[in-house]
Amino acid sequence: MACVYIPVQNSEEEVRVALDQLPRDASDILDILKAEQAPLDLWLIIAREYFKQGKIEQFRQILEEGSSPEIDEYYAEVRYERIAILNALGAYYTYLGKIETKNRKIETKHREKEEHFIMATQYYNKASRIDVHEPSTWVGKGQLLLAKGEVEQASSAFKIVLDADRDNVPALLGQACAEFNRGRFSDSLELYKRALQVYPDCPGAVRLGIGLCRYKLGQFDNARLAFQRALQLDPENVEALVALAIMDLHPNEASGIRKGMQKMQRAFEIYPYCAMALNYLANHFFFTGQHFLVEQLTETALAVTNHGPTKSHSYYNLARSYHSKGDYEKSGIYYMASVKEINKPHEFIFPYYGLGQVQLKLGDFRSALSNFEKVLEIYPDNCETLKSLGHIYVQLGQIEKSQEFMKKAAKIDARDAEVFTDLGELLISSDTSAALEAFKTARTLMKKGGQEVPIEVLNNIGVLHFEKEEFELAQQVFMEALGDGIWLTLLDNKVNIYDIDASASILQYKDMQLFRLLEEGGHSVELPWNKVTVLFNLARLLEQFNNTEAASILFRVILFKYPDYIDAYLRLAAISKARNNLQLSIELVNEALKVNGKYPTALSMLGDLELKNDDWVKAKETFRAASDATDGKDSYATLSLGNWNYYAALRNEKRAPKLEATHLEKAKELYTRVLIQHTSNLYAANGAGVVLAEKGHFDVSKDIFTQVQEAASGSVFVQMADVWINLAHVYFAQGNFALAVKMYQNCLRKFYHNTDAQILLYLARTHYEAEQWQDCKKTLLRAIHLAPSNYTLRFDAGVAMQKFSASTLQKTKRTADEVRSTVAELENAVRVFSQLSAGSNLHLHGFDEKKINTHVEYCKHLLEAAKVHREAAEREEQQNRQRQEAARQVALAEEARRKAEEQKKYLLEKRKQEDEQKRVRQLEENFERVKEQWKSSTSASKRRERPENDEEEGGHSEKRRRKSGKRKKKDKSSRSRYETQEEADTMDDQDELEDEDARETTHQMDDQDDAAGENAQDLLAAAGLEDSDAEDEMAVPSSAAVRRRQALSESDDDEQLPNSIRDNTDSDGEVRDDNDKPDEDAGLDDGC
Amino acid sequence: MKLAGLKSAENAHDESVWAATWVPATDNRPALLLTGSLDETVKLWRADELDLERINIGHCLGVVSVAAHPSGVIAASASLDSFVRVFDVDTNASIATLEAPPSEVWQMQFDPKGTTLAVAGGGSASVKLWDTATWKLIASLSIPRPEGSKPSDKSNSKKFVLSVAWCPHGRRLACGSMDGTISVFDVARAKFLHHLEGHSMPVRSLVYSPIDARVLFSSSDDTHVHMYDAEGKSLVGAMSGHTSWVLSVDASPDGTAIATGSSDRTVRLWDLSMRAAVQTMSNHTDQVWGVSFRPLGGNGSQGGRLASVSDDKSISLYGYS
Repeated sequence: MACVYIPVQNSEEEVRVALDQLPRDASDILDILKAEQAPLDLWLIIAREYFKQGKIEQFRQILEEGSSPEIDEYYAEVRYERIAILNALGAYYTYLGKIETKNRKIETKHREKEEHFIMATQYYNKASRIDVHEPSTWVGKGQLLLAKGEVEQASSAFKIVLDADRDNVPALLGQACAEFNRGRFSDSLELYKRALQVYPDCPGAVRLGIGLCRYKLGQFDNARLAFQRALQLDPENVEALVALAIMDLHPNEASGIRKGMQKMQRAFEIYPYCAMALNYLANHFFFTGQHFLVEQLTETALAVTNHGPTKSHSYYNLARSYHSKGDYEKSGIYYMASVKEINKPHEFIFPYYGLGQVQLKLGDFRSALSNFEKVLEIYPDNCETLKSLGHIYVQLGQIEKSQEFMKKAAKIDARDAEVFTDLGELLISSDTSAALEAFKTARTLMKKGGQEVPIEVLNNIGVLHFEKEEFELAQQVFMEALGDGIWLTLLDNKVNIYDIDASASILQYKDMQLFRLLEEGGHSVELPWNKVTVLFNLARLLEQFNNTEAASILFRVILFKYPDYIDAYLRLAAISKARNNLQLSIELVNEALKVNGKYPTALSMLGDLELKNDDWVKAKETFRAASDATDGKDSYATLSLGNWNYYAALRNEKRAPKLEATHLEKAKELYTRVLIQHTSNLYAANGAGVVLAEKGHFDVSKDIFTQVQEAASGSVFVQMADVWINLAHVYFAQGNFALAVKMYQNCLRKFYHNTDAQILLYLARTHYEAEQWQDCKKTLLRAIHLAPSNYTLRFDAGVAMQKFSASTLQKTKRTADEVRSTVAELENAVRVFSQLSAGSNLHLHGFDEKKINTHVEYCKHLLEAAKVHREAAEREEQQNRQRQEAARQVALAEEARRKAEEQKKYLLEKRKQEDEQKRVRQLEENFERVKEQWKSSTSASKRRERPENDEEEGGHSEKRRRKSGKRKKKDKSSRSRYETQEEADTMDDQDELEDEDARETTHQMDDQDDAAGENAQDLLAAAGLEDSDAEDEMAVPSSAAVRRRQALSESDDDEQLPNSIRDNTDSDGEVRDDNDKPDEDAGLDDGC
Repeated sequence: MKLAGLKSAENAHDESVWAATWVPATDNRPALLLTGSLDETVKLWRADELDLERINIGHCLGVVSVAAHPSGVIAASASLDSFVRVFDVDTNASIATLEAPPSEVWQMQFDPKGTTLAVAGGGSASVKLWDTATWKLIASLSIPRPEGSKPSDKSNSKKFVLSVAWCPHGRRLACGSMDGTISVFDVARAKFLHHLEGHSMPVRSLVYSPIDARVLFSSSDDTHVHMYDAEGKSLVGAMSGHTSWVLSVDASPDGTAIATGSSDRTVRLWDLSMRAAVQTMSNHTDQVWGVSFRPLGGNGSQGGRLASVSDDKSISLYGYS
């Protein structure tokens, strides 16, 4: 039992004070000490004892009393003890300042800490005043400076001591600590070593210092030895234990970790408030998933330490714990706290990463970005960080930057399938080939790694192959993704299925009986949810292969299992639409709309179908609904409305110019609106071009069409036949027939497998205008062959033949062969017209019987004339030959005879000519009058025809445009879904639309023809009136009347063709020809 | 089963070739190929070298259809001007010129016994039957108008008849229309029996299976070939694969395969046991308007032959095995 003896003043007695029985109230002892004027070292001993017992108050009371001015005065000579007391107080406050802790707010803490340091400084200064050279004071000051973090000054304080006494152990230790903090570990190690040499029995702390230095210097084995030594000296040395544990943990081996954790645990048991041990334990429990422990431990650690990095670590542990539990808000806060404790990111980077992750999760991309970038500065090759950055840039829309990072990540870690998957996903929208490569690499890696390749990856590969038109490969991949299932049965055992299902229900694309029968037959019809998309894509692919039957079965099996899969309905609808089964198609779309009544794609499709069904008002409403469903952002719906207006402008058979203008204006507005939203919308541009052409701005519209055509030819998925046709129309309207022909032909071959009778009609019209009668006829015959029930084509063919004949007969010089073929052609024309005439009784077509009969009459008449001409020509031919042979021999006799004959003929001819001239004059008058009439009716007669053409052209183009619109929209809508699907949709729709177009245009054509017919009739009527007048007045011979009639009906014919422009001029010309002829040919023509 | 290209005659005609059929062999000559074209001629070709046997002229406007009498002695050709010319195959002597205005003429076929020529009558919505002895019109099989439609209704043009086919025993006749419906008639009673539904676009070609009188194949602009049970009114199968209109279909003499020609420029061979295309020939460069298997029998005809004709003016001959 340790005791101290306080000598009683002026006696030999002493007061014995048992150190373990110091009174609770220090005043008792103080009283004794003061009363007995006990030596100061006793004061110190007792104070220290209090301290050891944790009685801090008493300790301070004694020392403060011991350093009071009275004592200074009284013990003025006792310097060393006074210094010691002051130093003890200084050390105490230093300690307080160092430990100043927990549970208080940082500011208060900081202030108190400062106060403590100030107190400590005061005491040391006081000690120094007593003796400047006292080394222990300097050591204390050094410690204080160290505690305050002023390492340099602390070092110089210790240096002062060491200069005086190079073996001063406390100074050596202090200096070692200072060096350690300055990062000069080898210097520090030297100092520790010297301290140990000077004072071999020094406490374990020195060895701990040595261990730490060696650890820092990378001499792990020596470090371990030092720690172990420290531990031997003091088995309860927590720091040594923790240090050893850390060394065990770091190699990251299972056994090491176990040993390390045991040590940590022991350290924790010895001293539960070692933050480092707490952190490591928390870390451990984090990995073992005991989050409750983690929180407790870290909270304790946070409570006991003030050390920035350690706290940061604790916060990090806590944040991680919350992060893993999915509490992003809290974990974000703690990551933030952790980051705040860190001065430089490179000290402890993990919380930045965690913070980045949480911010990413919470959608704060900018902050996440900066955090990840900090991580990347320190670990420039960290794959995860690169990937995260890649993702963030995707979210921020900076795809290129994102790709950069992903590519870098892929380069660094060429074995990380995930990186390649991500990269592939990134590239899909921009570079399909590269995306495909990335996905393939990912697949190979996964296969190598024995991993199962996710269906999504396979699906993406398949889709990309699909997009690149590598259909076989796509199919392989889709099949691989699908694996085994009912679809194999459906695809392979077609025969069985049809045997089961030998009813007409196959075409009912809504039929599900097939699957029920299969189920009854013992097959299980299962379709895992994650394979639906792949199956859908496979079906799309089958459609691409034109295996629509198999595709329809797959779509139906999807619907059988997932009746809400709208796109499958729409595909089925598209298939039946392509097969022209509108009713079924509409039903299917309505099924889709039952699932989601606002699905814009379905609405647009319905609108199209309604338009096809000639249900105009409904269609418009449906398009409106589609447009509304997307807040007017859906370009397809807007385009459709634009097209609707365009049709409306041209549709009305009785053209109302006002209405027409309104509709055109509206159409233009709608196209423009789409173009504003999507500057690169080809269809809108096409539409705008059409409207411009409609208004006669051919140059502008040509530019537009040319650009659209160029743009469209860049993509395999965009097939804009319309723009080709429109361009051809413009060429045609500008009189560039050769180019127009080429354009029509290319379009026909490229887009329609040469099956579009409508384009053939355009082609024929161009030939007609170019006066290439035979080409015109052949083209029309082809068109008839393609569209046998279109009688308009037959009529047009008849007109072409008639025109051909008429033009041949008008020629001043023609061979007998020409005339012969003319006769044959006229016979054909008569045949065609007679057939039409007979057919009109049966109402096979909408032509007026009278009009056809007029044609028949005219042709017959022409035929008669032609026959005469033929005979004449033949005779002439013969005669020429004879003449040549006999010329010399019978020149004179011949001459005389001929003269006589000519004389006779001349008289005859003259009479004829007179008749002719009369007729001509009359005709001209008639035409003038007719022209007047036309001018007055709607527009100038000549001009008038042209706009009509244009409109007509516009008509088709319009349609086309509309289609295009559809495609566009499809794109859009599907984009949200799966890419391939979309493309596929697009293509299909296009097809559908094309058909539709063809049909509609035909209608329109018909209408127009009818209209033209009407006009013609009017004219005819007018002309007829004139005729009768003329007859009355002039009493011309009947033959002349007939001829006049011919001329009239001819002009009539011209009108009949969809768009003959120069009827009037032509007939004028003819008349003039007739005039001229007699003069020229007077001698020869009828001469023989 | 397999097709092997044997011979191709480029520029066989001056214009698109629109029709082809085989004239069966007679005692003194093998089977000949008969083709008709837009160039207004009908040509006869000798297999396997496709040597031109003769050129028949006399048609105006394009020749849209040719048919051969089962005896191989006479044949008929028809053109857009709606005349049918019946002629002696070996001498080209005209036997008769048929017309039934205002009805047009599209596909034609002699019945298996050779007593009747059936002609698809286009807009008249009927099939005309001609007696081959007297060359008189003996019957007009009309497709009944849908109920409630007025005579002036434009929709009747949808029943425009494009194609005809006799069943192997000659009791039934099927015809295909622009609207995609197929009508089946009882020939003996000249009575309409029923429609076969399934197509919604023009049916340009029809053929009965030579081995099963119930089975009828149809090809349509909807890119599909259908296989019907013509008696049971049911659709037995639908075959898809062509990318454009299917213009022509013919059944192989053994009844195990059919061949189709399409606007997609291909000729396809379909195995009926698999109901799938087993071969695609793409040697034509334009629409294939006609395909025709050579009938069995005759001297010097070893192996099956298939001929195809196209808008590219050429004729192709394939060995079928």
